[in-house]
Amino acid sequence: MGSVVLVVRLVLADVRRHKAQALMLLLAVAVATATMALGLSLRGVSDALYEQTRAATAGPDVVALSGDTGPDVTAALTALADAPEVVAHHGPYRIVYADLTTRDSISSPVVVHGFAETPGAVNRPLVTSGRWVRNGGTVLERGFATALGVGVGDRVTIAGRSYPVVGIAVTAATSIYPWAAQIGPGGGPSDYTGLAWMTRSDAWALASAQDLPVTTALDLKLRDPARTEAFREAHPVSTVRVTFHSWQFKAQQDMVILRNSRPILVVGGWLLSFLAVTGVAALAAGRAVEQTRRAGLLKAVGATPGLVATVLLTEYLALALAGGALGLTIARLTAPVIASPTASRIGDAAGLTGATVATATVLAVAVAVLSTLRPTLRAMRTATVTALTVTAHRPRHRPWLTALSALLPTPLLLGLRLTARRPGRAVLQACSTATTVIAIVALLAIHVQPERGYGLGDSSALPNLRGEQDRLLMLTVTSLLIALAVVNTITLTWTIAMEARANMAIARTLGATPGQVSAGLSTAQLLPSLPGAVLGVPLGLGLLSLFSARNAVDPPLSWMLGAALATLLATAALTALPARLAARRSVAQTLSAEH
Amino acid sequence: MNVVVRVRGLVKEHGQGQSRVRAVDAVDLEVPQGQTLAVMGPSGCGKSTLLHLLGGLERPTDGEVWLAGRRVDTLTERALARLRRRSIGFVFQAFHLVEELSAAENVELPALLAGCSRREARRRAGDLLERVGLTARARHLPSELSGGQRQRVAIARALVNEPLVVLADEPTGNLDTAATLDVLRIFEDLRAEGQTLVIVTHDERVAASADRLVSMRDGMFVDDTRLAGTGTGWLGGLIGLEG
Repeated sequence: MGSVVLVVRLVLADVRRHKAQALMLLLAVAVATATMALGLSLRGVSDALYEQTRAATAGPDVVALSGDTGPDVTAALTALADAPEVVAHHGPYRIVYADLTTRDSISSPVVVHGFAETPGAVNRPLVTSGRWVRNGGTVLERGFATALGVGVGDRVTIAGRSYPVVGIAVTAATSIYPWAAQIGPGGGPSDYTGLAWMTRSDAWALASAQDLPVTTALDLKLRDPARTEAFREAHPVSTVRVTFHSWQFKAQQDMVILRNSRPILVVGGWLLSFLAVTGVAALAAGRAVEQTRRAGLLKAVGATPGLVATVLLTEYLALALAGGALGLTIARLTAPVIASPTASRIGDAAGLTGATVATATVLAVAVAVLSTLRPTLRAMRTATVTALTVTAHRPRHRPWLTALSALLPTPLLLGLRLTARRPGRAVLQACSTATTVIAIVALLAIHVQPERGYGLGDSSALPNLRGEQDRLLMLTVTSLLIALAVVNTITLTWTIAMEARANMAIARTLGATPGQVSAGLSTAQLLPSLPGAVLGVPLGLGLLSLFSARNAVDPPLSWMLGAALATLLATAALTALPARLAARRSVAQTLSAEH
Repeated sequence: MNVVVRVRGLVKEHGQGQSRVRAVDAVDLEVPQGQTLAVMGPSGCGKSTLLHLLGGLERPTDGEVWLAGRRVDTLTERALARLRRRSIGFVFQAFHLVEELSAAENVELPALLAGCSRREARRRAGDLLERVGLTARARHLPSELSGGQRQRVAIARALVNEPLVVLADEPTGNLDTAATLDVLRIFEDLRAEGQTLVIVTHDERVAASADRLVSMRDGMFVDDTRLAGTGTGWLGGLIGLEG
């Protein structure tokens, strides 16, 4: 019991003493786990939103669609409704293909479903604002209305006729906007299309007056909703061409808009985790001497090596797990928004699955363990007396490097020797830079992809929601990666500056100016950043090739080299401040503090 | 009289090959219960190494270390840690307090390690801080204390588990005269209560307060003197500890 109190007390006291570092670890892990958990949970959340919409709208299990109209079609579809597996049905009803224009002159293809003023037992669209259809008015599907910027009370023109929008509704009988058409006129391919409802008579009148293409649909509720495929196979329609869309197919279609979101978030989550490990490892390395002394002190008063390891690891583990919990909460709250970019579905989505929570927790623990295991083992294994008097690890003597650097200007000489003193941290800096450039290359690649708008004739008046979602997610992930890389660069510069302060003070006594020392510290970060930035470009392209479409366009080489150069310049600027602050420290104070 | 610390043929070598140095060279020593032993000698003669060997902070190259009749130089690191927390109290020249813990929390630390309840650890810490005159400073962090106050906290911490022996390594080495006197008074009280003490020191005033003085040179004992054992002698009187 006493040991538990002691561990808790030491952990809390250390967190209080190093608040900024604790906060950094917490946020880095939270961001990484949130991104990862979002990526992993998108399918589940999307399915859950479809399920909730289906339950709220009495969504059909199967929709039978025919590209034609007429008695033969009606007879064939009605025969399906009489099948023994069917417990309820809606229709057959007409689907009219038209164009819709808003008061702001935004135009889009639209399919108009002719519905009864009182919906039946199957496919009852849920009105989310306004009221259900009446003669002379139209109800717009919510995803479509949101994209158009139209609300209840506005007027829209459909095939040249003006209608007031009397309501906004959602349905699970069609795919989300902009794939509401399901099939095109005559049963052919469909274009990006919105959905509107009218009364049967209005839909008929619209189609007749303008001679618009019309198809027919029938919604079916089966005794066993899971047996949609068996139903299709048991009821081949030979007289007319009928397409069956099951509810499983529609749920699957909802994921189309998220096709790129998953890899962006999952790969982004891994890259963020990697940067979190890099940042926390830099922090842990910077505190290694202090932690080793602390371990020696605890051992001297009777702590076992196991207890010392527990104290050192518990702090990072507890913070990482808290960060993981925070990340999962963020993922839980934002998942419905990201999984449903069109507003075509309702519900607040199911919680994260056990597998996602487990993955995020493993990730958080891995960040803590990977970044702190080495300093912890070092602290554990160092003899007590040595630990009590430990100083910064003495670097290896490299005569060739000393001779080489002697030929260079002072800032480069100092920078090269500083880099060589801590090769592990140079690798961390290189990896951090490479990760940043990978993300920027991916962002550039997403921006250069050709994209069709959802408006009439591919007009960009209605933006491509999938492209917008991809760009927004990629921008967010890249921004988070850059933010972590910035913190890592500053942390690495500061820890190296603190460890090298005695050497830099000696360099000052030998005639180096504060400016040269400051430039040397910046150079020590820039040297490993250079190969990191150069490697980041091909690594980014390689990573993209794993997920992008075959006809994807690569960003121009000049853009990517520009991004690498900009990253290096940003690194130089970022290292300047901590380097300058460290170089301003009094030489006399530094030297006397070391003895 | 019971022997608390017994050492036989103790050797400690540092380094390897030509740079090998024998810091402690075939030392034999017995410290009876209640004795205050001062170890003096020039810098680098092996005093601190001897103390570290007695406390299990370092392992000997050769020889035996016995504590209260139990051989301890063959114990595992884990067993040594348990031994330190219950039977040995350390006082270092550099204090070695946990910087992020208050004075009281530092004193409670070994008690909690030894499995005491939080309440019992707090009670013991309170008593000991009162004894060293730091009750008013119990909630202060080490950085808010003077050197002398920090060393008094370190002494209180060394005593919290009522150890068999307190090992003090240059306990006044970083202190001014006033703080040194405070520490000497505490050691004098401990000696009077029968606490076994081994003190490594350069300070004549500290050595004068001991029952026995051992001089070291090049890792070996060169002199072993029984002092009066009743006080700090004429030197104690001179600096105001006597009379």
